[in-house]
Formats: sequence, C-alpha cells, structure tokens
Amino acid sequence: MIIHLFLFTVPTNGLVIYCGTIVTDEGKEKKVNIDFEPFRPINTSLYLCDNKFHTEALTALLADDNKFGFIVMDGNGALFGTLSGNTREVLHKFTVDLPKKHGRGGQSALRFARLRMEKRHNYVRKVAEVAVQMFITNDKPNIAGLVLAGSADFKTELSQSDMFDPRLQAKIIKVVDVSYGGENGFNQAIELAADALSNVKFIQEKKLIGRYFDEISQDTGKYCFGVDDTLKGLEMGAVDTLIVWENLDITRYVLKNHSTDVENILFLKPEQEKDKTHFIDKDTGVELELVEQMPLLEWFANNYKNFGATLEIITDRSQEGAQFVRGFGGIGGILRYQVDFQVLDPHLDDMFEDFDLDDY
Amino acid sequence: MASENGGINAPDSWDQEDQDDSTSGVSKPASSLKLNANAAAFVPGKNPYANTFVPSFGNKNNQAVDSTPNPPEKEEEAMNTNNEVAANWEGETETQPEKAEMPEEKKIETTDDGGGEDEGIEELSEEEDDEEEDEGGTTSVVKPKKIIQEQESGEKKDHVNVVFIGHVDAGKSTIGGHLMYLTGMVDKRTLEKYEREAKEKNRETWYLSWALDTNSEEREKGKTVEVGRAYFETEKKHFTILDAPGHKCFVPNMIGGASQADLAVLVISARRGEFETGFEKGGQTREHAMLVKTAGVKFLIVVINKMDDPTVLWSEERYNECKEKLIPYLRKVGFNPKTDIHFMPVSGMTGAFLRDIPDESICPWYRGPAFIEYIDQLNLSSSSEDIDKPVRMPIVDRYKDMGTILLGKLETGTISKNQTLTIMPNKQNVKVMQMWSDDIETDSANPGENLKIKVSGVEEEDITGGFVLCSPENLCHTGKLFDAQIVILEHKSIICAGYSAVLHLHTSSEEVTIKALLCIIDKKTGEKTQIKPRFVRQDQLAIARMEVNGGLICLETFKDFPQMGRFTLRDEGKTIGIGKVLKVLD
Repeated sequence: MIIHLFLFTVPTNGLVIYCGTIVTDEGKEKKVNIDFEPFRPINTSLYLCDNKFHTEALTALLADDNKFGFIVMDGNGALFGTLSGNTREVLHKFTVDLPKKHGRGGQSALRFARLRMEKRHNYVRKVAEVAVQMFITNDKPNIAGLVLAGSADFKTELSQSDMFDPRLQAKIIKVVDVSYGGENGFNQAIELAADALSNVKFIQEKKLIGRYFDEISQDTGKYCFGVDDTLKGLEMGAVDTLIVWENLDITRYVLKNHSTDVENILFLKPEQEKDKTHFIDKDTGVELELVEQMPLLEWFANNYKNFGATLEIITDRSQEGAQFVRGFGGIGGILRYQVDFQVLDPHLDDMFEDFDLDDY
Repeated sequence: MASENGGINAPDSWDQEDQDDSTSGVSKPASSLKLNANAAAFVPGKNPYANTFVPSFGNKNNQAVDSTPNPPEKEEEAMNTNNEVAANWEGETETQPEKAEMPEEKKIETTDDGGGEDEGIEELSEEEDDEEEDEGGTTSVVKPKKIIQEQESGEKKDHVNVVFIGHVDAGKSTIGGHLMYLTGMVDKRTLEKYEREAKEKNRETWYLSWALDTNSEEREKGKTVEVGRAYFETEKKHFTILDAPGHKCFVPNMIGGASQADLAVLVISARRGEFETGFEKGGQTREHAMLVKTAGVKFLIVVINKMDDPTVLWSEERYNECKEKLIPYLRKVGFNPKTDIHFMPVSGMTGAFLRDIPDESICPWYRGPAFIEYIDQLNLSSSSEDIDKPVRMPIVDRYKDMGTILLGKLETGTISKNQTLTIMPNKQNVKVMQMWSDDIETDSANPGENLKIKVSGVEEEDITGGFVLCSPENLCHTGKLFDAQIVILEHKSIICAGYSAVLHLHTSSEEVTIKALLCIIDKKTGEKTQIKPRFVRQDQLAIARMEVNGGLICLETFKDFPQMGRFTLRDEGKTIGIGKVLKVLD
C-alpha cells in the first residue's frame, strides 16, 4: 500500500494512515484502512507496527498550544486555572482567613493593624509561590499569557510585588476586576479578558452560543433546537450553523422492516435503547432489521456539508455551553431565515422531574 | 444603698469609657443631659463609698458635659439612677446567678484600689485612656471594656440597624463618621488626629470617614471595602451603623450589611455630575436601592448630600431635581414614595441637618427635622412577637479572639448567656460564653440587636458566614435543592437550565445552578402561563428549581421566615435577579 502512495503528492498538512485488522463486536476479524489529512500540519513522522493504533500525535494536534493562566484572588482565597483551546481547568485553589475589620478598638488597634498587614502580606507571598509551582515548569513559564483577577487590591498588589516571579510578571496580559472569587470569579475573568484571548476556542465557543441565545432573546425565530426540529431545519437547508454538544449521547438508528421494505430512522437516547419496542414494528409485530447504527454526532460530522451547514462542536464547560446543553438538550442551530416549528421535541421533556405547580 | 447595690449585683468591671470628649467646648443638646456615665472599677466589700458609683448607663452622649465638673448634681443623679437600677434588678432574678459566674474578671478587679479611684472619677474622665488603665493596673491583663449595665429588657432601647448605601463617593462613611462624632461616639481628639493625618495625605475631606474606614487600604484610597460597624444612641433608640461600601466591586460585601438592616439611608451626592453618574446604568444608586429592598428593608431615608458643595450651594432646585429623578425609580423598586421614603438635604462634611439645623440664611427652604431627630422619632414596627420565636441569627462573620466570636444580627428569639445553641447547617452545639451588643457587654439579647457572641464548643475554622445560630429544639431548614420564584432584572440574553450565578441569601453567598425552569408567571395577572418554559428573559417572572453547587445551606421558605427566604442572584458583577424561596426540596 505504501508503494501505491508514492504515486501521489503528499497533502499540505501531511498524511495519516492507520491500517490493520480489528475484531468487531460480533467477534469477526475485519480489515481496516483509515487515511486522512489532518486539519493542521502534523510535524511528527511515525512508522510503527504495534497491537494498537497510536493517536497521541493527533491528540496533541487537537490541544491548543496557546494556554493561558489565570489567578483569581480575593479576600477569601485564591484560584489558579488555565484556559487552553476549549478546556477550562482549575489547577489549584486554597482558602485563606484574613482578619476583617471588626472595629476592635483600644490599645490593640495598632497591633491588630500590624497583624492584619502581615497576614495579607503572607497571603500575597503564598499566591506568588503557588503561581510559580503552577505556571513554571523546567524554569520556563508553561503559559502563553497570564490574567490576574480579583476584587480589592490583591491582584494589583500581586502584580507589583517583588515576590511575584518576574518571568510570570512578563506574561501578564490583563488585570481584571471581578466581584467574586472562586469559580464564578474565574468565569467572569475569562469573560472580561475575552478580547485579549479572542483566538482561544473557548472564547469563540462562548461567543457562538451567545449569538444563538441572542437570536432567541430577540425572538427572531432564526433558531432551532432539539433533534427533530434541527433535522427538519437541516432538510430545509435553513440551518446556517449547526451546534452540537461534544458528548451528545443520541444514537441514530436506521431500521428496515422486511415485510414492507420501509426504512425507518430513529434517534434514541441510551435509556431508550433498552426499550425493545422501538425495534419492533407496531402494526405487525415484526422485528425490524438494524441497517445502520451510529452516534448522531458522528452522522452530523459526516453529513453536515450535504445540508449546507457548518458544524460547531461545543463543550459544556462555559456558562453558555452549560445552558445550551442543559436547557436545550445540546443540539440546535442558527437558521438563515425564520422557520416556525410547531412540534415540541419529546426528547427534551423527560429531563424534568415531577413537580406540582399548585404548591405555589 | 452600697450593700444593696453590691450584694445584688456583683459587678464585673465598670471601666470608664474609652472615648471621652476631652473638649468641653462642644455644646450638646440639653436632652442628652441625663446622667453621669463614668465609674471606675469596683470591688464589693472593699469600697465604703460604693454609692458614689454609677453604672455606665447607656448614655455616652453626655461625655462632654461630664468633663465640666459639677459634682453635687451629678451625685444626686447617680443616686437616683442607682435606685432605679437596683429596683429593676430586684425584679430580675435570672441574671443574678450569671453575674456571679465571672471569676476571671473579678480577679482583675481586686487589684484595683477601689476606694481611691472613686474620688478620682472627675479627674479621670478628663484623663487619657492609657493613663487611666495604668492606674487601674489592668493594662497588661485586659483591655478596657465598655460595660454598660442593661436595663431590664422591657426598658431596653429599641435597636435599629441602619445601613448607609449609595454610589461610591456619595459620602456614606463621612455621614456615618459625622453622626458618630455628633453623638459622642468618636471624641474630638481622635478626629483631630485623623484630620491631621488626612491633611498630610492631602485628603482633608476624608477624615470624618476614617472613623468607620479603619483599614489602611480603605484610608489610603478613601473607599470603604468591608462593611463598617459602629453605633450611636439617641434619646429613645439605639442605632447600629452599617456603613456599606459603594464601589461596585464590593457589592457582595454591601449585601452582607444590607441583610442585617432595618432601615436604609440612601446617600445621594448632589454635586454636579456625581448624582448623574451614580444614577446612570451601572451606577450603584439603583442597584443598592434594589438590593436593600430585596434584603427586606421597608423604609428608606434618602439624604441628598453635599448640599454645601460649590456646585450646589443649598439650591432647592438641585435638591428637587435629584428628588424627582429618584422617585420614579424608587417606586419601581417597591418603595412607596408617600409612606416608605423620606427625603432630606444634608451635608456630611459640615454636619448640616445631621443634628443641627443650620441658619435660615443658608437653607431657607428646608427647616428640619434634622437627621438624628427624624430617625429617633421614626416608628419602625419592630414586631414584639419575634421574641417568642425560636432563635435565628445568621452569622455574618467570625473571628478568633481568645475563643470563637460570631457576629450577626439576631432576627428572632432571645439569647442569654450560658445558653446552648446549635449552629446550622453542620448541627454543632455551642454554648454562649459572652455577648456584646454593639461593643456593650450584655447578658441577654433581643431581636434586632447586632451581636458579637463568644461561643465555646466550636472552632472558628468550622464556621463561615451564612451559617445560622438556632435554638437546639427548633432548627432551621437546610437544603441544596429548592424551588424559587425569580424575577430577572437585568440580563443581556436568555437564562435557561444550566445557568449558574451567585446566590445571596441572608448572609450567605453560594454558587447556584438552575436545574430546571418550571413555569413563567404573568406579571399582571399572576397566572402561570407557560409550563416548563425553555428559557426566561429579562423582566420575566418565573419559578425555577435551583441547586446549590457547594452543598447544604440554611434557608427557609419566604412564607415561613422572610429574612431567610429571599435572595439576590448575581453574576459578572451585576445583579441578575431577585427571588424568594417557595419550597425546600432536599
């Protein structure tokens, strides 16, 4: 096979080939031959024979090399996190107990003020030290940029402090004001630093879903959500951008009824798959033959071009992403023109627990 | 008299006030001239002149007067008071055994030469704090405590917690500081010191606020960061000042203060430009007004500050302009302009209309009442039935000072010394060792009081703000999943399940996620229109199921206990919505 390849010129981004035999679910051996051009240049040359396919080099391609560090500090504690590609990660957090002002007057006031200063100083020192542990590996910063966030003066104190490693100091791209510490502060810091990080996928993702939500809030009708509506939209060619959650667990089934020769397409969630009635024809009671079974996401990836749409795969790690996944089922699209979908998607309704509105 | 007094009331320590107004030149209103508050330490049995003693009896307003000696009159008053107090004590049996349980402080007392000091009272009041301590020999052992003998609970002054709110630099701290000065809570000497220091930093106008802004960062920037606490008394009432920060970064701190308030004072700067920026979108005037309303404050005093500013010069026009711009918004927030709001012009710097009404030539169009006078007569319906309810005290903060000390406002019930209480949500039993109501040591506390409680049986690290002190026999509810009615006030796009924000409920702030939206309520008809809506948007009212990400918190339904059932939702430094708890699920 490799000999055959010499007949072609290598694609610009390089070439990846996997071939070998695998054992299928049914226990049969199957020859596979996978070849594609990676989406960005691959600079690893690897020729290996092994009992598994090596995808490490491809995974590394997926990881965005631009990693940004975040330090969120407020009066209650500090949080260290990174943002890289579409992954937001909390590396470390700790809490701190700083003396507040309690109006302790009298002779201890001065001593109290001194203790207070000392505690704050130590806190800044600790943050500076942990920052080095987190963001410096092999004497080099492991981040492309650093965002300092916090309420009050801690962040400025830190950025100006000589305890703060100068290698990290040089990496500071933005200092932002957030009102809370912890996770919420981290999210807000990402939001506020968005313009400095605009090429990070996470930010693009937030913007995309933000745009989708804007369509909804402005009631333009140029949006759809749920499997059925989205597919209808796709078939009409109305979907401009198809947004799908990366972990969407809906499977697409193509079933065939032998007696009538009718093909039937089903979209089932894992818990629905267990219900065997889906695989039996209601009228005749004949078991349907499984023609094709594939995760919906994969099917979209293969077919989105046929519908003239662009596919965006998103995560639920951002505020917007989490809302999209939990509130809209993780599938939807921005449309080119207004479409009125009347039917409610049954897939989404079972996410509610029972409740009695009369209680309120 | 002496034996009666000493026998019934084995006193702790009646150290003198820390702050005495060393200048007698400041005139005080005649009304505050009630009784002498200065008494030195006292040892029963050792002191033959005990009847010259007066318990420092709830009034510090007359410090200045005290410093002009007039012994005979004073003594007479002292006698009267003693009689009165003694009579009260006779009726109050339960406090006696508690009083006896203070061996530690007694020991200190015995080192005092009681008899010698009694004669020195007059001089002492004019002496400096530290000298006084030296004489008593207590300097190294305890810091001087202001202990004011409480009257019987029925005669206790009404406690009112006043929160000062408003945009940054409107003058909240300055007004608070000035009020403390006018009521004698800060002596002139301290203020002069502040003034000198402020002058050195070229920040002359800030000195009044330094009485409340005690941190060095706060003084340096002239911005309050944490809620300042202080108190003052008027004839009828006892006021706790909660000086909220105005800067938008510190709104979470401000909410903590607002959650304890009974009365809010919205400070508005009348200065050209400042009023406008404070009131614009993004200014804190609107947000604060809304937040105090959500915190349950029913009455709002709007003080138009900086009337003495060169751009204002007590112009009635400007005053009315500010007033008219504010009214529609305040009405929208939920304050009725006729019954719930009172406007007055003041100057925090000069003190005009704080206590004294300035000359008619300065301000002919407003002749009072002045601020102190007004809040003193204000009738805030403090419900007496709160006393009989189980104890609920949301903890604002805690710290360590020879034991674990909890801060908070007692919402319902009464707490007395040695009582056993339970801290929720971690169900830890604690015993009340000592209590201070606004720095005044006390043995029992009623609803509305702002307390500092020293407890045993719990480590300071195990408690955070948002925990609630409860009666062991009647605990508050805890939960992490609840249904609530929410109003979205400001959010640029839509809110649907999966949305997370910070929840401010009484004194706690926790991250919450909306699990599901249950229905949308029509604002006009109150009907539940859309069942299971996909999303809500700005200005909509909805019922949502929410989950606290961090774990259990203390909460009650709004119906049962409003103070612990209403909340604010904030995200990205903005107030997104407000709501009330309908049902605690889990």
